[in-house]
Amino acid sequence: MTTAGKLADPVRGKVDADGILLSADPRLMRLHLRSGGAEGGPLAVPELAELCRLSRRLGMNLSRPAQASDDECRIDMWVETRLAAADKDQQLELEIMDWKERPHEEPDQMDPARARDFDRLEGRGVIRTDAALRIIARQMPGDAAQASDAIGQSLLDIYDVIPPSGHTRLIEAVAERQPVRNQRVREKSGSQQLYLLQGQPLIDKVGVFAGYRFSATPESPETGDQAGKPVASKLISDSLFGFQLGPALRQPLGKIIANAETISSKLEGPLRGDYASYAKDIASAGRHLLELVNDLSDLEAIERPEFTVAADDIDLVDLAHRAAGLLAVKASDHQIRIDLPKEGETLPARGEFRRSLQILVNLIGNAIRYSPDGSVIKLRVSKDQEFARISVSDQGDGIAPEDQDRIFQKFERLGRSGDGGSGLGLFISRRLAGAMGGSLTVASAAGKGSTFTLALPNPE
Amino acid sequence: MNETMNNDIIRHASAMAGKASFIADDFAQALFPRTDVSFNDRMRSNARQYLRATIGQIEQRICRIATDEMGVSHETLAKIGQGSGGQSFRLLENSGLLKTTEIVQHLFVKAQQGELAARLLQKISQQDLEATLTRHLDHADPVVAEAAMGLLVAQSKSTGAAGEISASLADLPAEIAFALAWPVTAALARLSGLPGSQLQQATERMLAAHDESASVARKSDRLARLLEQTAETGDAIPHPMKDGLSLFIARLARRSGLTSDQIIGFTAEPNMVRFVVAIRAADFPTQDALSVFAALDGDDHILTAATYGETDQDRCLALVSSWAAPGAYQNAERILADDSLGDQGK
Repeated sequence: MTTAGKLADPVRGKVDADGILLSADPRLMRLHLRSGGAEGGPLAVPELAELCRLSRRLGMNLSRPAQASDDECRIDMWVETRLAAADKDQQLELEIMDWKERPHEEPDQMDPARARDFDRLEGRGVIRTDAALRIIARQMPGDAAQASDAIGQSLLDIYDVIPPSGHTRLIEAVAERQPVRNQRVREKSGSQQLYLLQGQPLIDKVGVFAGYRFSATPESPETGDQAGKPVASKLISDSLFGFQLGPALRQPLGKIIANAETISSKLEGPLRGDYASYAKDIASAGRHLLELVNDLSDLEAIERPEFTVAADDIDLVDLAHRAAGLLAVKASDHQIRIDLPKEGETLPARGEFRRSLQILVNLIGNAIRYSPDGSVIKLRVSKDQEFARISVSDQGDGIAPEDQDRIFQKFERLGRSGDGGSGLGLFISRRLAGAMGGSLTVASAAGKGSTFTLALPNPE
Repeated sequence: MNETMNNDIIRHASAMAGKASFIADDFAQALFPRTDVSFNDRMRSNARQYLRATIGQIEQRICRIATDEMGVSHETLAKIGQGSGGQSFRLLENSGLLKTTEIVQHLFVKAQQGELAARLLQKISQQDLEATLTRHLDHADPVVAEAAMGLLVAQSKSTGAAGEISASLADLPAEIAFALAWPVTAALARLSGLPGSQLQQATERMLAAHDESASVARKSDRLARLLEQTAETGDAIPHPMKDGLSLFIARLARRSGLTSDQIIGFTAEPNMVRFVVAIRAADFPTQDALSVFAALDGDDHILTAATYGETDQDRCLALVSSWAAPGAYQNAERILADDSLGDQGK
């Protein structure tokens, strides 16, 4: 949460008789622009604009609370309007005190940062547009930073809409505020990369359509799949499973899971309790299958001799927070607390961002799976001259010394079954760690929990 | 009977004849109330006194602006400006101009707030209640401390005698000040025989100078928001005997997403059922809820831990969320539901 903090530091703005925002402090201007406003245009923050109108209609100065929202945070404000001496045609001054920003808390709405992590984990890009389809944020796979050249331009100026789905269909979907599904587009300039877009309309706090959030999956021109990924991902897609069976299975599985979850959560209406429970089982089995498909896809990739990974500068503390964020719901289902390194800390390392995140998600996911409800999973970081290390410790049953090597073997489950694991996660994680020049080890004793440690090379 | 008395009787009889057609309306309202809220004599008396005093302050302020600031010379206005001989209320009370939903709703809220304050004073002394306001003056966050000081100052200006509602122009919400000011202006124009434009100008000046931010309600709202946003105080469950009435109401309003006026209205309903739903939705622990209920209840009702605990919190949340919808929507929804019931009955 951020706060204006100081007593004598209100955020100010001026609005004319027609509601045009004449001037504004940076914070107010940023909110105005994010709300779809333009410089020199009408004040676009609905609650503030409404207060200005009321203040003018009454010819009175108001002092009211107000809330505004953009796609990243909710802003609580205390607003005072100041009319120039009873003249309704004069400028109105806005003075905003107690400006407090906080991230959205809606449980059913995924934190945008978390959604971005999921997208990056899956090798997808993200494009956020305003209501007029102008790009306001873009992060594509392989880009080190947000591509700023496209910001402010229309989505249709940057991408060509290509068959089989047509231009009209996209425009119709946008006009009706409908989700956009499987829209193929090609970058007009540069690499002319093909993408498959999935778009969700964004609705703000007051129920107004605020734009779209698209996820963009790279495709190859020849086959319509996967060619735009970075080197490592490309190799994955060249394999039989990753390239053909994986995508073919993921889509129907995704539909099965989504529909089963819709049924089990009774979104479409009341349902007999046992039927909801069956639907939950279907969703759970679907997720298990999907994880298996992902694991097999990865397995096939990493076993190829030419498998390589990118060497990014990453921060293990940041990765720990991201991975824990991705599994927060799963942990809270079991009342498990994930104890993370302090947010301000950093531990630089060298490795591929997506693969390192994948390893940590696997380790924390295993820890949640095999820890008792209500326990604590600790993530700690350390470093020496060569390696940066991050460890994941749980309070589970532990692993006997004779089994500690076996758990890193392919399909090794130590006799467990029915817990959603495929027996491939640790095998893949260790291979990935090795490919990045690091290691994955375990220290454990039966009945005393386990500590898995990922070591990655220090940055050069 | 002397002649004067005869004349009085004749005048009163004529006045009664003029109002006779409304007797059935008044009696019908008393016989067939549309809500379960009962209004006692003290509430009626307080609301009337409050309205009379508020209108007196408004007309006095308008007259003073007209005479002192604008140089209008008029005997009636000067007299009213000096605080004597206010006439607007008498003229307005029978005109129906004060019977707008907005004004009457405000009167009801003020009257019920007076009731709550009186109930609270049976459980805690005025001195202790006033001391609650000093609690946040040393708050670590200077913004909170400053807001607490602001509320303390506003409270000290407006606190009236125990059991009465203090009428203060400064405490009026902007919409109510606006809704009252213009009928008063028209009444003054009629009483003084002055052209309306000068009085209108005076009223515009008065409204433009009205500082809503100085009112107790707004000061409480702001402090409540700040406290609820602060970890150390935001976790503490609001209580009227710890926070004082206006801050407690504002904090509960903030937590529930309802308005302070709605919360006050809930406390007038039988068994304060909607109030209980609101505190259940706001996740008040059982012991706090029972204590808050006891502090505000005026009829020896008892809320038991079992009743409170068994009240389904999810349903309370859904109900509170529906009450937080815009009033116009709730009204429309109710009317449409009534219509559809009517259709079914046909």
